[in-house]
Amino acid sequence: MRQTTLSVALEVKPESFDHLSGLLDALRDRRSPNPSGGTGPFADFLTTVPAVHFMSLSVFPGFDYDPLFVIEANFDGAPGPFWGQLETAIGPDLRSFLRCCKRPLDHTGDLFDAVTAPDSRAPIAPYLEARTLTPTVYHHGNRGMTRDRILAEGELFLGTRKELANANDGGPSPYRKLTPVEIHAKLRAALLPQFGWLAEKAPARIPFLQSVGDYARLAWFVLLVVFALSIPGLILKSQLAWQYYAGLCVALFALFTGILYKMGKPLPGTATPTRFSFLTFFLRHLLVPVVIAVAVYVAIAAFITAPVWSWIGHKPFWPAWWDMAIWAGWSGASIAVTVAGILVWLRWLERRDASQDAPPVDPKMLREMARREDWIPQNHMGSVVLIKPGVLRAILIRVGHHGLHLLLRAQKAARNGYLGSMRTIHFAHWARVNNDSRLMFFSNFDQTWESYLDDFIEKAHAGLTLAWSSGVGFPPTRFLVKDGASHGRQFKEWARHSMTVSRFWYSAYKDLTAEQVERNYRIALGLRKKQLSEKEAAAWINDL
Amino acid sequence: MDQRPVSEGGGTPNWHLSAPASGQAQGLVVSGFASLPTGRALFLELGWKGVKKKGGGAWVEALRKVAQVTDADGRDPRAVAMGFTWSGLQKMGLNANALASFDRPFQEGMFQEDRLRRLGDRRGEEWQGTVIPGGPKWSGNTPLDDAAVDDEARAFDDRQEIREQRIKTPVTVHAIVLLYCEHDEAAEAWCEEVSAALAPFEVTVSHHLPLDLRLDKQGIAREHFGFADGISQPIPFETGTVVYKDGTNVPKDYWNGVPLGEILMGHMNGHNEIAQGPVVAASAGNTDGLPDHPKGVGFKDLGLNGSYMVVRELKQDVYAFWQSMRVAAAHIRERDPEGSAHVTTTWMAERVVGRDTHGNLLCPLGTIPVENNDFGFWDNDRHGMGCPLGSHVRRANPRDGLAPTPADKQTLLDAANNHRILRRGRKYGKTISVPPTPDEVDRGLLFVCLNTDITRQFEFVQQTWILNPNFATLYDETDPLIGPKGTMTIPEDPLRRIIDVETFVQMAGGEYFFLPSIPALNYLGSL
Repeated sequence: MRQTTLSVALEVKPESFDHLSGLLDALRDRRSPNPSGGTGPFADFLTTVPAVHFMSLSVFPGFDYDPLFVIEANFDGAPGPFWGQLETAIGPDLRSFLRCCKRPLDHTGDLFDAVTAPDSRAPIAPYLEARTLTPTVYHHGNRGMTRDRILAEGELFLGTRKELANANDGGPSPYRKLTPVEIHAKLRAALLPQFGWLAEKAPARIPFLQSVGDYARLAWFVLLVVFALSIPGLILKSQLAWQYYAGLCVALFALFTGILYKMGKPLPGTATPTRFSFLTFFLRHLLVPVVIAVAVYVAIAAFITAPVWSWIGHKPFWPAWWDMAIWAGWSGASIAVTVAGILVWLRWLERRDASQDAPPVDPKMLREMARREDWIPQNHMGSVVLIKPGVLRAILIRVGHHGLHLLLRAQKAARNGYLGSMRTIHFAHWARVNNDSRLMFFSNFDQTWESYLDDFIEKAHAGLTLAWSSGVGFPPTRFLVKDGASHGRQFKEWARHSMTVSRFWYSAYKDLTAEQVERNYRIALGLRKKQLSEKEAAAWINDL
Repeated sequence: MDQRPVSEGGGTPNWHLSAPASGQAQGLVVSGFASLPTGRALFLELGWKGVKKKGGGAWVEALRKVAQVTDADGRDPRAVAMGFTWSGLQKMGLNANALASFDRPFQEGMFQEDRLRRLGDRRGEEWQGTVIPGGPKWSGNTPLDDAAVDDEARAFDDRQEIREQRIKTPVTVHAIVLLYCEHDEAAEAWCEEVSAALAPFEVTVSHHLPLDLRLDKQGIAREHFGFADGISQPIPFETGTVVYKDGTNVPKDYWNGVPLGEILMGHMNGHNEIAQGPVVAASAGNTDGLPDHPKGVGFKDLGLNGSYMVVRELKQDVYAFWQSMRVAAAHIRERDPEGSAHVTTTWMAERVVGRDTHGNLLCPLGTIPVENNDFGFWDNDRHGMGCPLGSHVRRANPRDGLAPTPADKQTLLDAANNHRILRRGRKYGKTISVPPTPDEVDRGLLFVCLNTDITRQFEFVQQTWILNPNFATLYDETDPLIGPKGTMTIPEDPLRRIIDVETFVQMAGGEYFFLPSIPALNYLGSL
């Protein structure tokens, strides 16, 4: 099942910031201990439309720009029907929110006018669809699990507990004397009448075609990056004899690595111990893929260009292909030089980046956040940061985010919901706003804000630094991944400083963590099978 | 001096602080004063109205004459430790900017509305079952701060004002004095001496608890439920500062080592930063004895070698505990008559704690002896077949047990060690009869722990481990020993057992205290 993660970010009239915040607060009782649900038709929408997983409405205050109103939604299916249903449920409210926003300056201005005119009845959905942002990166912790399925399997889990606790109540439990295989069979028989769907085949979480697409897109992206990195080599090789070309490459590489060796050392006071080593990482995870990618690139590039060369040079196809392969192969060898050059450029920028040692945090805002946090085992955060200026940063954030996005869709652990050693995120995404000058991040995660960020600081600081170090004021970073978020408190203050109050937030399954959803899934998967082998049953029974 | 179990001698030598830190830190940092088995906790209230402009610290000076705070440079015949709440420091007339330089949780107090929810004590209007009926007796009664209500006037603001609720307790505590000595009679006389010395300064003892180590015949200090206590503490390290008795550096302990900054302000902590402490302007009174602040020009470091002390009075219902264990064991035997010969009341209680009554860690086969604190859960007991996943000791320090794969063991162990606390608690109240019978005696544990980042250490442990309903992929259960009434899963072959547990521990009062260094204490005395 397709799952959609999107956001709509709209600039707010400065005069309407407080008013809009009040409207959003009014969507639910502010003191309600329960962050899910709403009042009136909104509650019906959230509970009856079997699509929404998590949804939030928040306003970012205007520090660098005017305030920003953001609708964040994570749901099953396509956006069209979702917006329609949202409008049916809270059309008038939505219209009043939109009236607090500025008229956009682009082609959607007329749509905006139509929607927000006094007594307007024009449909809102087209406007919201037109203003929808595509996330640059998103991550789903329980990929492919529809809301209905999560809820149904949650019911099943409770059903198993009830059956095991109450079978033959008052006397010996009939389950205690059985083997795991027998326990499975008996439990299945007991639950089947109530959960008829156990007899059906489990729908695939990630359909085959979607997987093919994930891998194909990643492969295509890698080839494009290899091509882009080889362009300087292609040009130079076309102009130089191989001796000069090779000599130049070796000389430049030696020069760049020499500079990197000097520049790579942390600035005083910013070093943090880390187990992350570039060389180990490269040798263990990158070397083979890079060699394969370059080889594939050379072969394909030669195939594409050979017909042209054979036509221009009046050569048969295979000799032409061979010429082209040699050219591309030489340029492939230059990729190491290009990468080293880019790293020198990057490091030069990093050493001059201004980091913010003590980002100002508004205590009142912090309290408003705290007031809404930690009511249930899940929490929500939304953050907006300015993006560092410059050509290289602009390229890195686009290419890096896109690569990260494709990797998260294709990498085995991430497909299973893991980021490093953690599976605490339900839905998270990044998107650029304000004409690509700011980076917005939303996450619906398990446990507390502190533990969520500590997890990243302690267990995945390299990845976190990579994703966020393009933000203005981020703690000092080395080569995009080192140090940075390892400065725990400084990073947490920086993150808090970028956050806003999640005024309205909805979770469709508020007591299920991402881990529990997977646990329920494993139990359900076992119970769908008529019989388990001894080995399967032994593993399956640990989840009960 | 006794980071090893106070009950039993450990195999590793004890850690000490070297000079000058040893003369500056309070003795409580390095020692639980195991050689001084009896003691008193005196909770002080400063009786004057409002904030004193001058002389607010005179009582600290007077106290010094009868109960001088012990430093960390060696054993003394009797010992004293002392801490202040934020409201106490404010009343004593500490500069408002200095008051604003403390860590947020300390400034807001333990009883800030949202904090109480995170600590599992109160939700909205309701005190939870893990608090004594009617609400706690004492706290610092920290006043609401500026962030509590957004009453700033702004054009175009039509929002309804949310006023935060101030949660008050009948007794206000401005400072705590912990006295340790050898005999109960001496302690009693000492208390009177202290009370008499403070009386002229309008400082009264508003609440007090007798503290006890009370070693049993085997030399084990047991908490009231009957389990050996004080086992497994973090071992700080910092080259040149944390040393053995012979002066050599204490190396980083693989399993339990934490940077000194986790315990003392002004030192490098586990997040690669200098643990932040309070500061005071050099011009604010007699600051000569304080070191310069390393970053703030013109400011003195009020925090260096100080710490935050979390104190919670936890009342224990010993009879209810053993009764509940008996019922749970009986229920298991009833449901599984043939496979439950091993399930006794004690077996049950040991699963709840995760150790046997002598402190040995439960393992799938046998136990790990109490002296050995160098172990992880992953290799010994990944699925909790010995020490259950949700048992008290596993929740209080999961070590490497939360790793999803063997490759993550190291990362998870390191991560867990960034949330350690140094415990310095002692029990109070008479030991219950054997076998336990219901009585009206007030008994429990005065939980005391030291840390420098309250949010990342104490609060994290309480919220993310102890009271996390989804800890270690469990569902809807919290710490079976100190959490609220609920269930507990005990993994076993072929099928886990789930038992019902009641509430056995209730909070009767609590607050965050600043544990100043000796120079900082001198400064506070000069106010």
